[in-house]
Order: sequence, then C-alpha cells, then structure tokens
Amino acid sequence: MEFELEDPLTSFQDHQSDTVPILFTSESDHMPSQNFLISLKTSDSLASFRREAISYMSQFARNLDPFVPLLAVNYMDRFISKQEIPQGKPWVLRLLVVSCLSLAAKMKNTPLSLSDFMREEDCIFDAQAINKMELLILDALEWRMRSITPFPFLQFFLSLSKFQDPTLIQALKRRASELIIHALNEIKLLEYKPSIIGASALLSASHELFTLQFTSFKASILSCEYVNKENLMKCFNMLQGMVAMEGYDSSFDYAVSSTSSPLSLLDCHCTKWECNNSTVGPEKIDMKRRKLNGVCYQISQIQHS
Amino acid sequence: MEKYEKLEKVGEGTYGKVYKAKDKESGEVVALKKTRLEMDEEGVPPTALREVSLLQMLSQSLYVVRLLCVEHSLNKHGKPLLYLVFEYLETDLKKFIDSHRKCANPRPLPPSLVQSFLYQLCKGVAHCHSHGVLHRDLKPQNLLVDKDRGILKIADLGLGRAFTVPLKSYTHEIVTLWYRAPEVLLGSTHYSTAVDIWSVGCIFAEMARRQALFPGDSEFQQLLHIFRLLGTPTEKQWGGVTTLRDWHAYPQWEPQNLARAVPSLGPDGVDLLSKMLKYDPAERISAKAALDHPYFDSLDKSQF
Repeated sequence: MEFELEDPLTSFQDHQSDTVPILFTSESDHMPSQNFLISLKTSDSLASFRREAISYMSQFARNLDPFVPLLAVNYMDRFISKQEIPQGKPWVLRLLVVSCLSLAAKMKNTPLSLSDFMREEDCIFDAQAINKMELLILDALEWRMRSITPFPFLQFFLSLSKFQDPTLIQALKRRASELIIHALNEIKLLEYKPSIIGASALLSASHELFTLQFTSFKASILSCEYVNKENLMKCFNMLQGMVAMEGYDSSFDYAVSSTSSPLSLLDCHCTKWECNNSTVGPEKIDMKRRKLNGVCYQISQIQHS
Repeated sequence: MEKYEKLEKVGEGTYGKVYKAKDKESGEVVALKKTRLEMDEEGVPPTALREVSLLQMLSQSLYVVRLLCVEHSLNKHGKPLLYLVFEYLETDLKKFIDSHRKCANPRPLPPSLVQSFLYQLCKGVAHCHSHGVLHRDLKPQNLLVDKDRGILKIADLGLGRAFTVPLKSYTHEIVTLWYRAPEVLLGSTHYSTAVDIWSVGCIFAEMARRQALFPGDSEFQQLLHIFRLLGTPTEKQWGGVTTLRDWHAYPQWEPQNLARAVPSLGPDGVDLLSKMLKYDPAERISAKAALDHPYFDSLDKSQF
C-alpha cells in the first residue's frame, strides 16, 4: 500500500517486466498540461509564482524525506495548470505550497505536522484551510497522486547499459538523481516526459563520471523503443547546459553533494538560479523581496482581522 | 452529494453500502459507494489517499470498473465522508449465468462468449497484479457485465488490500468460500497472486457449467469438494502442504477427469483450467501467461 517514487506501481516481483510499458504509457498523465508550459514561458507572473513557490517550499522541506518536495512540486504544477490562481492574493501561494507538501508527505507516509508550518512562520493558516485546499487539489488532480517521476526509469535505462559494477551504477544513479532534483526549478525541462528527463540525467551523469562508456550507453538508450531520440538529445543538451552553468558558480560545490540531501540541493539551486539567471536582475530580486514581505503582511492582516 | 439522486440500494460492497444513483445534471447513472473513510483534523487520512489513488490508477484499465470521481460530503455528525463514484453496469456475471439457467429457455453460454469473458477477466487480473494489487475476492457477483457490448469488468477492489513485495501475512476471512484457493482454506499465511488465479479458474468452470464447480458451505466441506474432483493433494504434488496450519488427515481421493466436470469445454479449455487449478500456488499459471494460452488462439484479440 506504500508509495515509492522508484516503484510507483508497487509491482510483484514476477510482474516487474510488465510495469515498464505501463510506466511509459501512463507517464504523460502525471505531467502538467501543454497550455501551462506555454503560459509559463510567456507569462512572467506565472513563472515567478512558480519560482517563489518552489523557493518557499524548500524552506520547509529541509528536514523531510527528499522525495516529498519533488512530489509536491509535481502536484503544484499539475494543479496550477488546471486551476486559475487568483491574482493579487499572495497567501494563496503559501496555502498551495503547504497543502501540496502535506499531500506529498501523506503519500510518502512521512510524518509532517501542520504545526511545523505554523511554528516557523508568523503567517498561519488554520488546519481547516489546509484541508480544504487539499481537497481542491485532489479534485483537480482527480486523485491521481501516484505520480510517475523520472526515478522509476533510472533502473530501467541502467538495465539497458553495459554497466555491471554496483558501485558504478550507484554513482550514476546518485548523480542522475541530483540532476533531476536540480532540474525541478528549470521550467524548460517541464515539457519533457519523466522518462526522457531520467534518461538525459543518466547520460549527463555518465558523460561526467564515466566518459569512456558514454557513447555505448547513449547508443543503448537511443535504441530503446520507448524513447523519442530527438527529444532525448534536446533534453540532454539542456541538462548539459545546466551542468556547465553550475561550473561558473564556485560557491556551489557539487562534489560534496553526495552528502547533502536533495533538498538542500533544491534549496541551493533556488538561490543559485536567482543569482545566475540573466533574466532575473538585481531589481527583480528586489521586487521579489518586496513581494514576499507583502505576502506576510497580507496574511498577518487576515489573521488579525 | 446533492449532485446525485439515489435510485436504489444495489448492494453491500467491501467499503459499505452501494447505491445506484443519477447525476442530476448530466443524467448519467452511476454506482455510489459510501466509504467508511472519515476525514479528521488532519484532513484526508494518508491511507485513504494512497488507497484511493491506487484505485484510480487501476481503474484506467478497460477491464476494471471505472472510478469516475471522488465526492466528499458531511455525514450526520458533521464529519466529511468520502464517496467513490463508479460507472454503473446493469448486470453482473452471477445474474448473467442465472439468466441462462433459471428461465423458460435454459441454454449454455455461447462458447465464444465464455472465451471472451475469460480473456477480459485475465486481462483485468493481470492489470491488477502488475500494479501490485491482489483482488482476493473474485467471484461472479464482483464481475460486472455489459451484455450488449459483451464487456466484463472487475469490480469491488477493496481498500486496504494492496500490498507490496515482500508478501506479508494477512488475515484469512476474505474470499467467498466457493472461489477460495486451497492454500487459503488450509491456513497459509502468505497470499500471492495465485489466489486470484484459482478464483478465475472456478469462475471459468462456472461459466462453462452454469453452476459452481466447488459449492462448499463450510471451509471443511469446501476442501472436500476440491479434493473429490482434483484428488487429495500430496507432498509430492505440493511440497509443504501437510505442514500448513489447517492440514488434517483427509480421505484419500484420486483425481477425477476434469474434462467430465466441464463437458462443454474443448481440450484447450480443459488444459487452461487445469493450469489455473494447480494445487501448488507456485505452479499455477499467471494471469499474463494465461492470455497467451492456446485456448485463446481462436479469439480475435485485436478487439481488446
């Protein structure tokens, strides 16, 4: 009855081979809509809403199971791609983030007390507001909460490779997982299917860690019947670009990332993105700060009213 | 819940009462299942969330009854309750078989229909098993039938039944006796996908015979029904059987000719049935392998 991101179908041992086609055919059901992706690219306010939400999420998620915020971001993307977010009500962002985290924690069976949110913040929602928001999200997502993420595909693509050594495979998986979590914030990657993101992350990892085997690994993934070659290469190049950008940021040390949780990586990435992204100038960051202050102000107004 | 007009109570499902109801706006007829899942201060309980989302995932198959939506409304104590809204099908396999037996014009089920229904049932069961879910209560009453379109769908996948590998111990009082696998009857504490296949075998035979294959009225009688037809199991046939909790010294019966119990089935059908009714759960055919059995060779699979 549990829900594991690596094995969302919780299949029986002797049915494992059946799950691969199911994963590939149902992965699109767990993606945000195409319209949402277009709006994200064209609307600054939506893109900044998402960025702010992820940044806010990472504040709370520090001590959680690393997959919880990953799942929460998926719920949030799917929710805002179906539901118009009321403008000019900044507390909506917080309520949405808290409710998505709460749902994700329930799915992962990770204890998450709502009072955690209330303790850290001076902006408090009552439990009832969160419960109502949870139901709104569940309705919008039609209770499809067993999201298919890039993670179940990692094992599958590795099984196509010639990699045998378990430590090597572990290293590839770990680096690929890091990349996937980093990529969460990157809206350009949202248009790719989870399987494509998983495969690209593994390719990037192998390019970086085991360059000699890269070509043959790439060939084996490209020959997989489920993979759209063009999309894979586009996504891979984008990830490579992301990796290259990290290189400029000396304050963000990747080498230690094996010890840091994906969450702290997510957090780091949010910070880094704001600094590195050329479209976010200092003024914009300032504006954002002002906006955030505004959020708290409004919520405190609600509370005091 | 004001959205729906309750038409009649149609049964008592695993979750609770089931109503035939009409969506007032669209006129669509649905099956409304009231669950016992109350929401508390923490909102939707985590188990409900995981189980309903699994049900939602399973109902993507054509051969599993479709979960249309989940509604919530307050009960008389002011607590929100979850209702599951399923597609409504007029009849079930039990009523359908009865309509071929207890009527003015008794007739066998057309062999091609038996073949098609069994194929759809195996498809649905394979789908559940590939999602890590055992049904554990497959019986003709739980298989809904669309007579006009010749479609069969699995219903009443109970909550709290799914589990993950490794298999855990479960309590026994689950399967209706007639379709209950011998390992469950003998007190085995580890269930596997094979318990559903046994039930599928019994349902297959029942479609061919128009009456139950093993109509036992107690656990003991149920075992005797099985042993009389298939022979009393031996250690050689089924290693470990005599060490199962409820094993006793039973009368020694020799296996009968299975074909005589299902005279309307040809040799391929009898062969498939015998593979579904293997004593040793590990030897019982899987739902997925059953789909490739020669019995289905004459079936036009492109329609599925």
